[in-house]
Amino acid sequence: MLRGGVFVAVLVTLPMLGLQHWFLNLLVFVLMYATMSSSWNLVGGFAGYPSLGHAGFFGIGAYTLALVFKDQVLATGYEPFLLLPLVGLVGALIGWPIALISMRTRADVFAIVTITFLFVVQTLAFNLHSLTGGSQGTALPIPPFSADHFEVPFYYVMVAMLLFTMGLTFATMRSKLGLSLVSIRADEDKARGVGVRVIGVKVLAFSVSVGITSMVGAVWAYYESFIYPQFAVDPLITIAMVLMTFLGGRGTLWGPVLGAVILESGQQYLTYELGGVQLYLIVYALIFLVIILLLPRGILPTIEDRLRLRRRRRRTDEAAAVWPEGPAIPSNTDSLSTLGGGAP
Amino acid sequence: MHALIQGVILGILTGGVYALMASGQTLIFGIMKVVNLAQGAMVIMAAYLAYQLFTTFGVDPFLAIPITTILMFGLGVGVELLFLRPLRREDKSELSLLVTFAVALLIEGALSLTWGTTYRSINAGYANSSWTVGSYQITLVRLWAFVLSLVALGLLFWLLNRTRFGRAVRATVQNPESARLLGVDAQWVSALGFGLGAATAAAAGSVYGLLYPFTPGSHYDLISRLLSIVVLGGLGSVGGAVIAGVIVSTSSAIVAATVSPAWSEMTFFVVLILVLLIRPRGLFGSVTRGAI
Amino acid sequence: MHQSNRLWRKGGVALAVAAMALSLGACASSSNNAGASATPSAGKPLVIGASVSLTGDFADAGKAVKRGYELWANEVNAKGGVLGRKVTMRIVDDTSSPTQVVSNYQNLINRDKVDLVVGPFSSLLTVPASQVAKRYGYSFLEPAGGGPKVFAQKLDNLFFVQPAPVVKQGDVFADWILSLPADQRPKTAAYTELDDPFAQPIAENVRARFEAAGIKTVYQQVYPAETQDFSAIMAKVVAAKPDVLVGGTQVEDAYAQVKTLVQLKFSPKFLFLSNGANSPLEFPTKVGTQNTQGIMSSGDWFPGSTATGSADFEAAYIKAYGGTADTIDNSSAEAYAVGQVLEAVAKKTGKIDNATIIASLHQGSWPTLLGDLSWGPDGAPSGSFNLIQWQGGKLVPVYPAGVSKTTPIFPKPNWGG
Repeated sequence: MLRGGVFVAVLVTLPMLGLQHWFLNLLVFVLMYATMSSSWNLVGGFAGYPSLGHAGFFGIGAYTLALVFKDQVLATGYEPFLLLPLVGLVGALIGWPIALISMRTRADVFAIVTITFLFVVQTLAFNLHSLTGGSQGTALPIPPFSADHFEVPFYYVMVAMLLFTMGLTFATMRSKLGLSLVSIRADEDKARGVGVRVIGVKVLAFSVSVGITSMVGAVWAYYESFIYPQFAVDPLITIAMVLMTFLGGRGTLWGPVLGAVILESGQQYLTYELGGVQLYLIVYALIFLVIILLLPRGILPTIEDRLRLRRRRRRTDEAAAVWPEGPAIPSNTDSLSTLGGGAP
Repeated sequence: MHALIQGVILGILTGGVYALMASGQTLIFGIMKVVNLAQGAMVIMAAYLAYQLFTTFGVDPFLAIPITTILMFGLGVGVELLFLRPLRREDKSELSLLVTFAVALLIEGALSLTWGTTYRSINAGYANSSWTVGSYQITLVRLWAFVLSLVALGLLFWLLNRTRFGRAVRATVQNPESARLLGVDAQWVSALGFGLGAATAAAAGSVYGLLYPFTPGSHYDLISRLLSIVVLGGLGSVGGAVIAGVIVSTSSAIVAATVSPAWSEMTFFVVLILVLLIRPRGLFGSVTRGAI
Repeated sequence: MHQSNRLWRKGGVALAVAAMALSLGACASSSNNAGASATPSAGKPLVIGASVSLTGDFADAGKAVKRGYELWANEVNAKGGVLGRKVTMRIVDDTSSPTQVVSNYQNLINRDKVDLVVGPFSSLLTVPASQVAKRYGYSFLEPAGGGPKVFAQKLDNLFFVQPAPVVKQGDVFADWILSLPADQRPKTAAYTELDDPFAQPIAENVRARFEAAGIKTVYQQVYPAETQDFSAIMAKVVAAKPDVLVGGTQVEDAYAQVKTLVQLKFSPKFLFLSNGANSPLEFPTKVGTQNTQGIMSSGDWFPGSTATGSADFEAAYIKAYGGTADTIDNSSAEAYAVGQVLEAVAKKTGKIDNATIIASLHQGSWPTLLGDLSWGPDGAPSGSFNLIQWQGGKLVPVYPAGVSKTTPIFPKPNWGG
């Protein structure tokens, strides 16, 4: 709890330290990706279903907001933020039938369906001119915030969303729902046999996950002020989310956040300072491959594993010292505790 | 009516090419239970190779196929050994998707580094000629592409059904445990199988380069279409992929001709959703544990 | 359990400390720079920032823009700089992403504190970027964002450095057609329009004018960007037998349309393609030189132009980057023109700060290698493009009279010569 409190306190007070605009801008994007990665984690990390189509819901959120506020002039500028829960609901409602259709099948077909969904959304965004403006793109109202504090409202909204998502993750981990998800990931048939409501649990996780992603998409659209189909619905957004979650550690609470901090700020910094090198995609892909092959569980679980191993060895040595001929005391390694458990 | 028939002709001719691309993808799935999201990227890579051979040495793209096939086969085996084999068994299903996607990005990055992002196409001299049959146009290039696809698919069938390697592959697809009991080296089959899938991409690449302009990012469009086709045909069934390729391609062409070109893309996706709703295992797929 | 507690607590503290350190660093750098901006700028280098697509979808065009900017900077420095100050271009990569472009201009303006900024490639990136510039009072001259949405923002700090908004690329063709005697004009027209922010409006503008003048529309079709197969569309065009085909195209679809028409053996009397047909080297390679005769397109800069600074630009470009005048991408010329405008403002007003630029450019006419440019209040330039035509395997300007080198050929000869 202490650590969580420190985290929240730091986040809330950061803007008041008189930070530069460019830094707040960076933080807004980092928070966006941290929230999205955390939400992807619910489906891809805990349930073990790698959705490759979350970017489709990002786009749905973006266009929903654009539609609602089409041609409007804002009074306070906070109206879009107040409507975010509605956007999230739209995303979740669309995600519900998608999950029902696709989660009856295995993980690889699920991935196929989600990727296809992504491209369907992109095609629709291009073709439905009257709704989305098609390839001409569509404008959102310019936020009437003063230039001095422009980023601050966005920052706080993103902090709220990140804390919400992390809170949700934390609650899930400690609840029956979390247990169900993990059991599904370990062995779905057995889970069904034991009485877990497999379909219901999976669909719920997916709907919540994409609902949150839609909300982030809406905030992004408002921040950019103008969106085009190929950017609002971009496969690279999904890949970024997945990579960040993998890097930090799937199925952990802090993993996705850590992954987002490292990758998003790293990527923005590197692009700005060293840009123009065509290696961008190659480096990205290589990082991904290295992580999957060498650190398949991500940073946090790997660190924890190493520490636990060292602990176990120490305990074994101590036991051997006391009882030279006896067996070493085996230590407990149940899979649940590697879910990033332990009080925060 | 005229437009409709012209659309059907076009669809069938292009269907051959898609069938060829999809056959490699479904074969890889059948052997290794891995959805190869890099299949599209491999086709594009082969297209670039054929392009380079054409512009530097004047080699006709069709004739370049033996060369590109060998190169891509090697690439496929390499990818399997380097990136897929190290994956642990229990993670393989989830992670192989992400690994192959990363490989696709890697290929895309390498291609843009080498050739830039300008669209390329292989402008063979016969690219613009066409036959007129009745009142219908048959572009020569498409016809040759279709013929080539048939030949390549024929070779693939021969390989699978008449050679020892092919028998090993089919055994592994049908029942991996029994195959292993009978002495089939699953690891060997996996590597070669992936290589074979990549080799089909090589043949398809030359053809693709002749028909369409391409850029490193073209693989996204391609992979989304291929996925619909393999699901329709049934994951793992090469014959299914062929038939599905022709069906989907023809439907798409008909929609383009009769309704509007804007919606022909959607045909692929609509087919996919329908298949998943009505008959998830596709036309010829086998029912395995956990559906599909 | 206790051990992991400690770990997590450590992790949390580490996170917090990192965040603090970063923010302190940001504060520190800001206080350092505050002093710097108070000192007078005379004699100091003039730092101009630009975010350009060096990787990603727009990479090739982005690199051409970078070449144009850098070439201008070198040329102007050789002449003594702007108001005695050496020009330094700070060019960063936006990877063709609107998220990155926003961050880039934030960094350029607020972290690196550049003196001026100039625009990226493509309207798609220009729109979000121009908002950032507007917020901090920077002028935004940009060479490649000319779609209608750019001007719909009504920003007073934005200036599109081309002769006219992109939608008007077809207007010069309409002007010419309507200037012909009635018996020589086309009677029927077909329109094939790429669904993108530029190509479609161009064709629609032409259609509006043609229909008003009595030219009947016999076929009109908008097609999506991924269309690779034009057989169905062009077959319908052929069936309608139009006198003139107006193509709102980009590059690849223009090539495909011509190739398909050749295969279908149909040659309209007039053929206009808004883009694709204006690339001096690529077009004949892709469709065959013998098929290009008589095809029309529009453009702003062309080799051999006598507009202000054009000859110097051509010579300097070839010297720096090799090739011939025909290989010069128009984007480089447009970027170069951006620099020329800045130079002109400095020369005319004796100052080169953002407020002066914004105030000056809304009136008067400013000489560049694209011709003399002038702007309306929303940043839209009020000139017109040139109509160019393929004759003898070369692109030549044929209209309006001020720039034309030769008379236009019409009707368009059949394929193959």
